[in-house]
Amino acid sequence: MSEKKYTSGQAAKVLGISKDTLRRLEIARKLKPIRLKKNNYRCYSESELENYSENLNPARVVKKWIEDQEGYEPLSSSYCSFSSLFLLRLSRLEQVLAQVNNLTGDSSLITAIAGEIGNNSFDHNLGNWPDIPGIFFAFDIKRRNIVLADRGRGVLATLRTIKPTLKDDKEALHTAFTEIISGRSPESRGNGLKFVRDVVANSKLISLFFKSGNAELSIGKFKKDLKISESKRAFRGCLAVIKF
Amino acid sequence: MVIALKKFGTILTSRQMGKEASAAFRPSLSNLKKDEIIEIDFEGVSVLSPSWGDEFLTPLILEYKDRLILKNTKNPSVQATFKTLKEIHRFELLEK
Repeated sequence: MSEKKYTSGQAAKVLGISKDTLRRLEIARKLKPIRLKKNNYRCYSESELENYSENLNPARVVKKWIEDQEGYEPLSSSYCSFSSLFLLRLSRLEQVLAQVNNLTGDSSLITAIAGEIGNNSFDHNLGNWPDIPGIFFAFDIKRRNIVLADRGRGVLATLRTIKPTLKDDKEALHTAFTEIISGRSPESRGNGLKFVRDVVANSKLISLFFKSGNAELSIGKFKKDLKISESKRAFRGCLAVIKF
Repeated sequence: MVIALKKFGTILTSRQMGKEASAAFRPSLSNLKKDEIIEIDFEGVSVLSPSWGDEFLTPLILEYKDRLILKNTKNPSVQATFKTLKEIHRFELLEK
């Protein structure tokens, strides 16, 4: 099977950079394009982009992906199109975190909250993905961050099936992170984010940024208070950045 | 009866996998004697989260109550999961 090729526009998108930046990288010989035999057009191989993306901060790359109007598949290394693949990569995360100094017990907690956030995306969107199925999942041990995102229905649409009175994204996020809702749900799910909040609030190492719709929140180390605010740019799904 | 959870994997996080583990394990409870204690052994489990726990552990805890004992539960994610499950379901957990 031949390797996937990307046009300049597609390459810029999956790397989370502008076309101008892509061109500058090419001139600086940091990215090497190839020419298509049939029309001599310039394009990039997936392996070339994967190699370069190792230097990039996934928290920046994901912004372009989640805010894109039409949607596109991320590079394979940061894309879990189905839940079993996510589980496999989650176990890789746990192995890598176990090698990081000063994390010890926190590595299991960090993996657990990443697992809850990622699995939430699959559980709440199964059969209902608006465009790109699955999640963006990448971690950067040097920058000590983990990024999870989906282009699913978002917290408000999901929770409204259980709590129709929710009026906006801010209220939906507050409910998701504070209320036990399984008792009212037709299915026993929906408490994962409260677990996430509890773990982060009781840790001296972990912090979380979470955004859905036009609402965003951050939970700091050893801080139980939720800071939920309205963001300037909205998107439909969910974005989480765990720092440790 | 002792249930070694590591037989279901060492990273126990997804609701779907918890459901499958429960469905696979349930038939073996038919051999349980009256008043027999069930020990759930967390030895070897490196990550547990409430989604998996709610599918596998919660039905057992609700059904067998004080006949259920949890052992080797020191892992921080196991402890954090217990805390969440207790808050949701208002039950007590017996740890060895």
